[in-house]
Amino acid sequence: MPISRQLLRPVSSSFILFTFVLSLSINLLPWQAGLIGFAPDFVALFIIYWTLNQPRRIGVGWAFFLGLLMDVADGNVLGQHALAYTVIAYLTLARQRQLAVFPFWQQAFVALALMLIGQVLMLSLRMLMGAPFPGWAYFAGCCVAAFIWPPLSNILLSHQRRPTTEEL
Amino acid sequence: MQASQPAFFKQGPKPLTRFFLFSTLSICLIVGDANYQMLGPVRQQLSVLLYPLQWLVTAPFELIKDTSTFLSRQAELLGENRKLHDAQLVASVNAMKLKALEAENARLRLLNTIQASQPSQLTEILYNGRDPFSARLIVDRGERSNIKEGQIAVDASGVIGQVVRVQPMTSEIRLISDRNHMVPVQIERNQLRTVIYGMGRGLPLEIRNMSSNSEIKEGDTLITSGIDGLYPAGLPVAKVFKIERNTGNAFARIYCTPLAGIDQHRFLLILDANQAAAPYPSNASDVGAIKKKKGR
Repeated sequence: MPISRQLLRPVSSSFILFTFVLSLSINLLPWQAGLIGFAPDFVALFIIYWTLNQPRRIGVGWAFFLGLLMDVADGNVLGQHALAYTVIAYLTLARQRQLAVFPFWQQAFVALALMLIGQVLMLSLRMLMGAPFPGWAYFAGCCVAAFIWPPLSNILLSHQRRPTTEEL
Repeated sequence: MQASQPAFFKQGPKPLTRFFLFSTLSICLIVGDANYQMLGPVRQQLSVLLYPLQWLVTAPFELIKDTSTFLSRQAELLGENRKLHDAQLVASVNAMKLKALEAENARLRLLNTIQASQPSQLTEILYNGRDPFSARLIVDRGERSNIKEGQIAVDASGVIGQVVRVQPMTSEIRLISDRNHMVPVQIERNQLRTVIYGMGRGLPLEIRNMSSNSEIKEGDTLITSGIDGLYPAGLPVAKVFKIERNTGNAFARIYCTPLAGIDQHRFLLILDANQAAAPYPSNASDVGAIKKKKGR
């Protein structure tokens, strides 16, 4: 369900923070080498989600900071994820009012596109700096992320939904 | 956006502004990091921030790994211990085998020298006779190898016994220690002739019917006299180790130990049958010369 049709409880900042910490942890999990391409970038996913649903709180600045953390965590060039996340967050914000009313499955496509943009950005950045092409599996994570977008959104929204009795 | 907006609408800089700000910052960081490597401190600070998270995430996996390695180590060590124990057993057995082989080799060499001097066959002992009342050995040569009853078995140091039964592939040797087995012997020192008797498996040999005053001493070596025509003369048989001269008895009790390792080796020689000994004299006057036949 799109957000606009329902009355939702406010989200606590600590919950947002918690989800980001959680997503960072998931990204930091010791993934198997073969699965690393298929692991969706949860940080990017949560950035999209929260900029979509809480644009007044989460925005480009957060994306940049989380990107920096991801860079440090991954041992990448500092700024690579930061740039990608900044772009993603900005694009989400630019169309936030439109996207927020989409049903989840449409949002999933948008999320897929956004994450692809982020990855292409990172990929081109790395290839500019002379890194080899890591293979198409690099993009598999985006598709997985798009698949888990609807359930993930539902789960996160369930936290905000009021009990139906209260609504009446 | 006007200046008179309520506070609610104030969102700070516009997203586009922020976007430019942060993307420029990102690119600066990328350039600074990739080209000039001047962001080590920043990285360090951030990694400190990130460290608890990393620890939190990897700790369970490490724990699982540690636990599983601990458990598997336990099982592994147990298995390894068992394996090593087995290997040690095998090694010690091998070492013992080696020793046995060395000894056997030495004995075979001795037998070989004897064989060179006397026509004989080397046989291997298969097993002890199963009858607990008699001292017998089963060896691996039989009729096929031209073994005949009455042939003498010796080892490197003396007489062992005598072939008493021949099967096609095996033959049975009666040891000199078998009860009432008799060997005509003489004392090497003074050529005194007598007969030595077996007393049973594991018991010493005995010389019976020697008067108390006969000239025999502890330590005397007894050799075959060759008188019965079965045992070739001159083979060492036994050594006297104890003489009981009892005044209440007409005869001395003389105990001897066999010189041959009658229950020791795996190989022994079976001497070829004597070349046709001189025929027994038919004259009554010569009967005295005939000693006992083979002691069966």
